[in-house]
Amino acid sequence: MKYVIIGGSAAGVNAAEVLRKNDKKCDITLISEEESLLYSRCLLTYLIAGSIGEEKLYFKDRDFYKANKIKTYLGKKAISIDRKKKEMLLDDETKVLYDKLLIATGASAKTVDIKGADKRGVFTVRNIEDARRIIKMLDKVKHVVVLGGGLIGLKDAYALRVKGKEVTVVVRSQHVLSQMVDPEAATIIAGKLAASGIKIETCVAAKEIKGKGAIEEVVLDNGKTIKCELVIIGKGVEPNVEIAKKSGLKVDQGITVNQYLETSDENIFAAGDVAETRDIARGTPRVNALWPCAVAQGRVAAFNMLGKKQIYEGSLSMNSVDFFGLASISMGITKPKEGGSEIINATRGENYKKFILKNNIIVGMVLVGDISAAGVISVLIKRKIDVSSIKDMLYEDSFNYAKMLPLVRKFKDKFSEEEFRDTVISYKL
Amino acid sequence: MKTKTKNIKIYCDITKCIGCRSCEMACAVEHSKSKNIYNALKEKPLPKKRVKAESSGKIIISLHCQHCQDAPCITACMSGALSKDEKTGATIQDKEKCVGCWMCVMACPFGAIVRDVENHIAVKCDLCPDRDDYACVVACPTGALFAGTEEEFRKRIEEKKAKEK
Repeated sequence: MKYVIIGGSAAGVNAAEVLRKNDKKCDITLISEEESLLYSRCLLTYLIAGSIGEEKLYFKDRDFYKANKIKTYLGKKAISIDRKKKEMLLDDETKVLYDKLLIATGASAKTVDIKGADKRGVFTVRNIEDARRIIKMLDKVKHVVVLGGGLIGLKDAYALRVKGKEVTVVVRSQHVLSQMVDPEAATIIAGKLAASGIKIETCVAAKEIKGKGAIEEVVLDNGKTIKCELVIIGKGVEPNVEIAKKSGLKVDQGITVNQYLETSDENIFAAGDVAETRDIARGTPRVNALWPCAVAQGRVAAFNMLGKKQIYEGSLSMNSVDFFGLASISMGITKPKEGGSEIINATRGENYKKFILKNNIIVGMVLVGDISAAGVISVLIKRKIDVSSIKDMLYEDSFNYAKMLPLVRKFKDKFSEEEFRDTVISYKL
Repeated sequence: MKTKTKNIKIYCDITKCIGCRSCEMACAVEHSKSKNIYNALKEKPLPKKRVKAESSGKIIISLHCQHCQDAPCITACMSGALSKDEKTGATIQDKEKCVGCWMCVMACPFGAIVRDVENHIAVKCDLCPDRDDYACVVACPTGALFAGTEEEFRKRIEEKKAKEK
């Protein structure tokens, strides 16, 4: 069998690893636009902040491809797929044949369409080269403007503040992290950032980036100007669906896949930031461009490519951030639109908890400060457990696994793995 | 590092656990610099426990990392700090790689990974790599804690049940 993977990040590399582990003889080829070995994009802001060195970005041993007998085309771009011939064309005109293909092309950073956005000194933080370029010029930078108050924008802002820069975040929405958390949690988090010296401008957008040669200032649509030498666009990502679209695969926001992560062509699979999978909390297709989802999808796709049918449980929006010691985790639906949801929340100082339930099933949560119960809640969300018997305990500081033990015992089919069964072996109450 | 046998983890007999937290104390001491309770108490930052005695009404359980077969913490770890020890099946952590993003805290269904806020890293049960036995099991005054394989623990519980009859 010839397995070909486009993409050398979380989904692609994990898929390659599963393929090799389960089939020692097959041909595996991996094509990646980036030349470096698998590194964690999520750590790029840690690199900029100086809290880690570049060597810590790398996820696999240097000889990973060789050790796993994976043929690579690094620094090459796949430009088209001939689905009838099962053949791909790379930008250097190399032709690559496949029996089963995985598209794990990931996502690219969104940019802004404003005057001056093409100037030197305007960056997105998506790949290792971006981070290197930013770090290189940091000595000359005093003021930074970050466009975007979402998770990416704030992580960029945090990293640069840690480096001692004067940082202003420009947020179009009414509050920061509007996709990730509710206004209450956002207020606490924004307060922490403001206390560290980060300036946050809400309900406003950048209109122009000005400067002769180097950047000098950003002009906002309310007329205000902010002096800066560096602009970071932290507006989130969009899936790299180009090749899938061109080859006639079904594409919506991302590449449409079924529960086996198979695209509209049975020999082509998709995984990671480019795939649109079923969202567990929402019950509808969604691109959840997140590291854990990409890893899980890469693995499941690989099993299905091998013909060992495995169902992907679905993705879930989930994020964890820590700004100056204030931890926050959000998962699933955090701002329910339609009625019928029950909301349980509690605030104490910097500690904030919110749970969104629908028919006694938790569909979302926001935790700020004390995040210790996040994992336990996450499994209740993922497995759609009826929590009516423990609902009153959810907001307690001491909510923990012991509280859900009766449910683990009761719903054997939902907690069928050995590790869950092990915890109830001695249970006789 | 001591080599330990395959598929070992710490089990808790819920009917015996009284929530005395001896396991928590022993765990923290074992993970201190001095490994001595008197000196450990003077360490700054204080050593961290990786086990939690938890309760809910009548249920009391000393909860440890379950070293899941398909571990969600490993899938979630974005820094490559968590991995499987292929030889023992244990879920292990490379502290040097941990950046304290808390993705594992978010993913662990048992809440068995905790934050070491001072050192800004996640900590979890490492099955006491510096000793042949397990600090929490040794410290447990009621015999609720047991280190072994699932089969061994099941046998132990069944034997206990047989005696009670």
